Amino acid sequence: MKKPSQKNNVRKTGRKAPKARRDRELFAMSLPAILWYLAFCYLPLFGIFFAFKQFTPKPGESLLKNLFVNSPWAGLDNFSFLFRSSELPQILFNTLFYNLIFLVLGILIPVMLAVVLAELHSKFFSGVVQMVMLLPYFLSWVIVGYCLYGFLATDEGQVNHVLRMFGAAAVQWYQSPGYWRVILILVEIWKSAGYAMVIYLCAITAIDRTLYEGAKMDGATFWQRVRYITLPMLRPTIATIFILRTGSLLASDFGLFYQVPLDSNSLQPVTQTLDVYVYKALMTQANFSFSAAASFLQNAVGCVLLIIANAVVKKTDEDSSLM
Amino acid sequence: MQIRKKKTFDPEEYTAAERSVFSKRTNIIVSILFALLALLVFLPILLVIIVSFSSESSVTELGYSFFPKAWSLESWRYLFRSGTYLTRAIINSFLITAAGTVLGLVLMCPIAYALSRKTFRWRRAILVFLMIPMLFSGGLVSTYMVNTQILHLQNTCFALILPGLCSTWFIMILRNYYQTAVPDSLIEAAMVDGGRQFQIFLKIVIPITTPVMMTIALFQIFAYWNSWYPALLYLDSNHTELYPLQYVLVNMQRSIDMLAKDAQYMSGAQTYTPPAVTVRMVLVVLAILPILVIFPFFQRFVKTGMTVGAVKE
Repeated sequence: MKKPSQKNNVRKTGRKAPKARRDRELFAMSLPAILWYLAFCYLPLFGIFFAFKQFTPKPGESLLKNLFVNSPWAGLDNFSFLFRSSELPQILFNTLFYNLIFLVLGILIPVMLAVVLAELHSKFFSGVVQMVMLLPYFLSWVIVGYCLYGFLATDEGQVNHVLRMFGAAAVQWYQSPGYWRVILILVEIWKSAGYAMVIYLCAITAIDRTLYEGAKMDGATFWQRVRYITLPMLRPTIATIFILRTGSLLASDFGLFYQVPLDSNSLQPVTQTLDVYVYKALMTQANFSFSAAASFLQNAVGCVLLIIANAVVKKTDEDSSLM
Repeated sequence: MQIRKKKTFDPEEYTAAERSVFSKRTNIIVSILFALLALLVFLPILLVIIVSFSSESSVTELGYSFFPKAWSLESWRYLFRSGTYLTRAIINSFLITAAGTVLGLVLMCPIAYALSRKTFRWRRAILVFLMIPMLFSGGLVSTYMVNTQILHLQNTCFALILPGLCSTWFIMILRNYYQTAVPDSLIEAAMVDGGRQFQIFLKIVIPITTPVMMTIALFQIFAYWNSWYPALLYLDSNHTELYPLQYVLVNMQRSIDMLAKDAQYMSGAQTYTPPAVTVRMVLVVLAILPILVIFPFFQRFVKTGMTVGAVKE
């Protein structure tokens, strides 16, 4: 019984040798990236414990020892502190408020623009429009902050200049929180709508042209075409973006909420989101446990939301889900 | 009518026009609307460019205006005459961008190739290994603590380069492209000839997949050129010689804009004297310029990346 199988094995390995060598070589090629992932993605994963420990580092000792040996377990204390914090409701509200609006407008506006832009006769003109509208996406939030500052600066800003020209009083924009919900939404749309629009436009150009030709022959109007051809065909793309955005409902763009309002204290009630809070708790208050608990919460909720959103999409449309 | 149209229209344009439901008049109206929209989108950038060429006195009188009283190259000249500090920042940004882009490709392309081989034994395991960080990460606190206390990246240029090198998203884009653009028969033939995987990758795969590499390179260039968050986290004010351009801009805004900041930042170390208002805008334009210059040439690569990225596996 044993002998033949052994023989077989010998023969197999004889044939398999190049395969094993190939696997070794391919693994060697993956190794540098794997090491990078270990150092920069997996090593920080143990930091989840920060959220459940009362971090009390002793100077001169290694981080791991400080975290696991020197720091006592805190159970869920960090979280209960976090939830009792008077700031948290506002922070959560801000994060969800902006994200929900970005989720809706971030799909609605680009799809509308793409649907209309796809109908333009001149491809060259459409290309130029796409290029200009894509540009803000590739600027950093720092640059965006400066561009906005050009309009909103109290003394030199263009908006106040116009206001004064018409005899109105100048507004101290960076100290008037009332305007900033609208301003931040406009800035976000300005920066990202073009990019999303081009994604949808690419999806529209990939739609089979004969569908449109048939519809045209049948005398379909613009709205009918959009309703019955374009939107159904865009569904997978929209679903993908919807799932990804839902997964990051508690995440926020740090640059938009920290750098664009210039970290102004008076704007904090409307600009402080979870990411800004995590950063400030860590860097300005050195409150590790607090910050870690907030960031754990963000991560866990994000993970769950992603799975839920995916399941919901899967239920309504099998092909459009991500996983 | 139809035939005459066909003759006068450019073939590509003809099909677009034919496909469209817009009549000529609607087309013109919608085109004008889009032209206005594009102009509106470009205005903020235009404003910054105009201010950088305005004279200082014009700005004090009219503010940041689209129609300055007098044009001047003064602030541009000032910048190039003045400080090593600012030129240093520009050079830093270039070096960081180059290093990050090249190193990132060196790490990501080989693993993407390995993952594109369907019979690779560890393929699934490595895929899962790469996907997990997309779902769950350690968060800012532990990332910060690991990078400073275990990897000791604080106040080194590595802090600005290493953390952003790889992205699972980019690896997947590369892998998808390798899978579709490189015929399996080609690689099998090379393997029969006894070719080593790395040689096959270098000599066969790389040359026929340059477009996707350009795409990824481009995204990395933009990401590194625009990055300022790592500098905010890991560089302190005693290491201004490492500051990239974007972070210098962050600091400048902090130190000049008295209204917006609180006492905490006022006490923050200021290692340089703030230059005049227009000079700031010159720096902003310098930070936008490389993007503006590469952008039109590489737009098609950007689109490749976006379409490959938007299509799920």
